[in-house]
Amino acid sequence: MMALQDPDPRAIDGHAPDVFSRDGTVPMRQFSDREEVDFAIVGTGCGGGVLAAKLAEAGFSVVAFDAGAFWWPLSDFASDERAQDKLYWLDPRISEGDDPLEFGQNNSGRSVGGSSVHFQMVALRFRPEWFRSRSLLGYAVDWPVDWREMWHYYDEVERACAISGPVTYPWGPKRHYPYRAHEVNAAGQVLARGAEALGVPWAPTPLATVSAPRGKSPPCVYRGMCKIGCSTNAKQSVLVTYIPRALDAGAEIRDLAMVGRIETDKGRATGVEYHRAGQWRFQRARNVVCAGYSIETPRLLLNSANARQPGGLANSSGTVGRYLMAHLNDAVWGVMDDEIRWYKGPPSMACCEHWNYIDDHPDKDFDGGYSFMSQGPLPTDFARMLVTNEGVFGTELRRQMALYNRMAGLKMVGETIPQADNRVTLADEIDDFGLRRARVTYSYCDNDRRMQRHARDFMARMLGAAGGRDLLETGSTAHLMGGCRMGNDPETSVTDSDGRTWDIPNLWVCDGSLMPTAGGVNPSMTIMANAARIADRITTLAAHGELDRAHG
Amino acid sequence: MSGTFHRPYPAWNVLDKWDSPSFNDTTREVLRQRLEEVPGRRFFTADEWPTLVALCDAVLPQDDNPDPVPLANWIDAALFEGRGNGTRHADMPAPPDAWRLGLAALDAEAGARGAADFASLDREERGAVLRDVDAGRLRADWQGMPVRRFFRNLVLAEIVAIYYSHPTGQSEIGFGGPASPRGYVRLQPNRADSWEAPPGKWERT
Amino acid sequence: MVPAQEKSVRHPARNTSSRDWRSAALGIGALAALGGAALLMRRRTRLDPRRKIRQSAAAMGGSILADSAMEHLRGGFHNPAMYAAPALATLSMLGTTGNARAARPVHAAAVAVGAAGLGFHAYNILKRPGGVSWNNLFYAAPIGAPGGLAVTGILGLADAARTRDHGRLLAGFIALATLAEVAEVALLHFRGAWHNPAMVLPVTVPPATAALLLGQALHPRTTTRPLARSALRLMGAMGVIGTGFHIYGVSRNMGGWGNWRQTAFAGPPVPAPSSFTALALAGDAALDLIGGTP
Repeated sequence: MMALQDPDPRAIDGHAPDVFSRDGTVPMRQFSDREEVDFAIVGTGCGGGVLAAKLAEAGFSVVAFDAGAFWWPLSDFASDERAQDKLYWLDPRISEGDDPLEFGQNNSGRSVGGSSVHFQMVALRFRPEWFRSRSLLGYAVDWPVDWREMWHYYDEVERACAISGPVTYPWGPKRHYPYRAHEVNAAGQVLARGAEALGVPWAPTPLATVSAPRGKSPPCVYRGMCKIGCSTNAKQSVLVTYIPRALDAGAEIRDLAMVGRIETDKGRATGVEYHRAGQWRFQRARNVVCAGYSIETPRLLLNSANARQPGGLANSSGTVGRYLMAHLNDAVWGVMDDEIRWYKGPPSMACCEHWNYIDDHPDKDFDGGYSFMSQGPLPTDFARMLVTNEGVFGTELRRQMALYNRMAGLKMVGETIPQADNRVTLADEIDDFGLRRARVTYSYCDNDRRMQRHARDFMARMLGAAGGRDLLETGSTAHLMGGCRMGNDPETSVTDSDGRTWDIPNLWVCDGSLMPTAGGVNPSMTIMANAARIADRITTLAAHGELDRAHG
Repeated sequence: MSGTFHRPYPAWNVLDKWDSPSFNDTTREVLRQRLEEVPGRRFFTADEWPTLVALCDAVLPQDDNPDPVPLANWIDAALFEGRGNGTRHADMPAPPDAWRLGLAALDAEAGARGAADFASLDREERGAVLRDVDAGRLRADWQGMPVRRFFRNLVLAEIVAIYYSHPTGQSEIGFGGPASPRGYVRLQPNRADSWEAPPGKWERT
Repeated sequence: MVPAQEKSVRHPARNTSSRDWRSAALGIGALAALGGAALLMRRRTRLDPRRKIRQSAAAMGGSILADSAMEHLRGGFHNPAMYAAPALATLSMLGTTGNARAARPVHAAAVAVGAAGLGFHAYNILKRPGGVSWNNLFYAAPIGAPGGLAVTGILGLADAARTRDHGRLLAGFIALATLAEVAEVALLHFRGAWHNPAMVLPVTVPPATAALLLGQALHPRTTTRPLARSALRLMGAMGVIGTGFHIYGVSRNMGGWGNWRQTAFAGPPVPAPSSFTALALAGDAALDLIGGTP
């Protein structure tokens, strides 16, 4: 087994990896630490990557930092689950609470391009009502953003990522995908047959992998290893979409650069302290943006505490790290008569958003919604789920695993309720950089559990209707949302609707941690759309000379 | 619980595709290291080693594998290299400590059942101990470590991660194996490409 | 501080546009050249229209043989009936070379198998979840493809055409067959998201050609006949260029032609565009018959 050693930084000497080549480079503008750049962005995933590209295209000087490596997918990504652990954030977070979260490969990337390098490409939109779930549906909180504005930016990022989706999507307002949906594989057809038997709609899942050539991206070859990194560049991750755009527009990407602290002076951020190539450095910046996702963004703000802000930066409300959400990711598995061979194709090729769009139904005993998708876990992923949920071992374990090619599964993405006590704080122990590790506390509420039960029952009915036998239920979580939520009230949120922190006018947040609610769909498109929106807002504010003005 | 294991894909070996477009050089190099450069014991002590080997054997018996996957070696390597998985439950010691503590406790559990140590139990007895441990029926002192979490999330999860990412484990279940640049064409049920395992031979289910 | 950047030789980091204009321009240029040459080409050796029809049937048969063999191999010949299409295409193609009268039952069988194939393909679509849905129309058995075999058979039988009215009938049939093919191309190029702008050619040139041909079938005016003939030549050239595009299209899949066992099947079907050339040839023969060429 290879040791998971990072390569040396590759975005150096005026060049960065050309992700469409095996080992080529493209020119990259570079800035000195002393130069006060317009934006220092911490993180290059669905939030930071999109923001870096759009701000650089708008003419700002941008340096984007990432703790992870800058990969050449064509030559760095092996067809091997174990070796590809290198894509994940493997330094431990301390996990506690009634329902402690799993991190690492479950929800945390550590690469230029962020978690989109290993995401499973499900490209769904929020239901419009969720942006006002308190006002319209009576639970959680409203977003400070109108759904129509988000709809515009969903369009934008779906075009940028050439999403392959169905011609007509059964739920919500109309949307037009740039590329056609992929052929639904056998695993997806199980969901489809079950849905048709139960009389609910289903759809080929909109996916961020191309179904036809797109420039230097070949169409998807259905190798099914999306979660361990796409080695063909069919996947339209941030690494192959927005990061190259950012480079073209003159942004600098600093790979393997761990930002440990944001410095402030007189109530303003002055730059970031970062560790790269063995030493700590300081980059001056007029604006600092946290885009490290729901754990690292709060951790960075908390780790940047100083005498004036002892509770962490931008934390006068005490909200930094709070209202963290994960998606319920419970699943039902069954043995089919057919050989499904679910390892072929992207893992989730068919989806059902039925329960996202139902409000008044005698069976619906929970707030919020959930979707679910067909499944295609790789061998160790499935085996891990089996043993951690069932504790099976010995010959019985091998026997159950031998049914791998005949398994099918349905797995939910369920909206949890934001709770103040589900939160990120700092642990006492420190990591290799000398930074305090994150401690994450997580517990489901009663509504979460009711939804979980409902979804398991419904998915079991559907899988049974599709011919699944010996059904098995498993529980887990997926994705992260919240932790630095945006809002209209400085007392209960960390930033305004532009992602600008209430406390420090030139300190911003732009990632999934802004999300006030989780929604019952995979979050990547929402994070990207929100980032694209924030980029335009920043550009507008700058044009009106309002970028430096403090909140009224 | 024990009994023989029926192989649905007896003739299938993903390594037969080594020279095909299903493999690329990056994957070949990873697998070459895995197959040829098995590290020796570096993390565990000589005393702990037999317990670890016995534990691996109980979790994943490989009598029928002509070339068994060296599970213990790879567990040792991961601990020696400090390979993390991103999560540490607040009630769990760090993985190196948890493993040491757990192996010692397994020996103590065996001792409490009248054996010299865990490795001297036969496979049935080892399985019985592990089922007790998983169910929390403890006779030894585990120093407050949540045993089910240790057994499932650390021991079982790590062993299956090694076994089923190994070509031996992949071939056994009829997985397609490495797939780049060549992926798959036939996505329909009961249809396989010629470079996939032929249809499985199933016992009654 | 900021490293010098040669703006002029800058190699963009970003992906190229999703529309592949460069290859499209190349292909359209090639079409202009080839089509232009075809238009300017004098008809020095006037072929007997019946011989043209035979050649057209052979070309169509070849295209269908290769296409059905590949597509059914992709499907693993899981239904023995899937052997029928390439078998009949082969026989029908061979039939055009020998004794015309003796080959008639073969051509008739090709028509029958082609018609039955339409039913098989429709069933294949319907049995998948979703039924008549975009996804199944895109990826299940192509709904119109077996029609190509029937067209081959009919062209084989059209060997007997002699009169002006036969010519009009044939022109009408070719026009309709062309439109049917256009419908299939439109579906599949839509599936391909028109990622190459040249993908619109086979849904614009052939319909125009079909319209002109249909005009000749209904009102065989001599004034528009040269225009119809030119359109047919352009369509014939387009079939050749289209084959080139499809060969290039396969190479753009991961692993290129070196991974042909996947890419030749997953990429654009190389044999398909040449059927336009075959249809153009038959259309040309129809015009000959209408024009009273011996």
